[in-house]
Amino acid sequence: MMNIAVTKWIMQRATAITLVPLLIWFLSIFIDLIQKDYQTTLVFFENDINFFLSIIFLIVVFLHMKIGTSEIFEDYIQNTQYKIVANLIISLFAIILPLLTIVSLVLIKFY
Amino acid sequence: MSDLEKNRPLSPHLQVYKWQLSSLLSITHRLTSIINIAAISLICFWIISLYLGENYYKYFQIFSSSMVGKFILIGFTWSFCYHLLNGLRHLSWDFGYGYEIKIANFSGALVVVVSFFLTTALWFFI
Repeated sequence: MMNIAVTKWIMQRATAITLVPLLIWFLSIFIDLIQKDYQTTLVFFENDINFFLSIIFLIVVFLHMKIGTSEIFEDYIQNTQYKIVANLIISLFAIILPLLTIVSLVLIKFY
Repeated sequence: MSDLEKNRPLSPHLQVYKWQLSSLLSITHRLTSIINIAAISLICFWIISLYLGENYYKYFQIFSSSMVGKFILIGFTWSFCYHLLNGLRHLSWDFGYGYEIKIANFSGALVVVVSFFLTTALWFFI
């Protein structure tokens, strides 16, 4: 069994590598789509590949965000109790926001 | 904890470090990570507003077509680009490459220049 710190270290690098192509893809489509109309954007996310990649992107980006933010807390928050609360808030945020977004994507595609 | 312990500066000691390119870029990496949280949240709200319908989506369109909105979105794009490119630099260090001061300074300057090029390319050429 790997130490939790080692697991986090590896996960942060693995998510970073995954995000290199995904982020460039997402940024380019985002910049393109915000200059187009509502219907075009809707149709874009109904496409199987775009739907699938967007969900992967959201999960990986928020995982990377959660690990990275905890690392910053580790450096700057001295009080253990504050650190636990801060980590709890960021965990909830990293679950709720992508979840709502993924649910929206699913509803766009299937309803 | 005594007062003395409470007032100890926390590592990384930003108050006492001597400023140099390497530390400046490292701090910028963290700053952009925090800006990226705001940016990714905005992207989430963009997708959620897409589901909620055109009445909600139009607010996003008003924002993104305004001067202030464009400025913020281009700023967010640069923040993502910088974090991505400097992240690649960190990855090469993790694999054991690029530690020599000359190379580290060069790759750092390169990251700054390329981040602006990539932002321009994403907005105006793709």
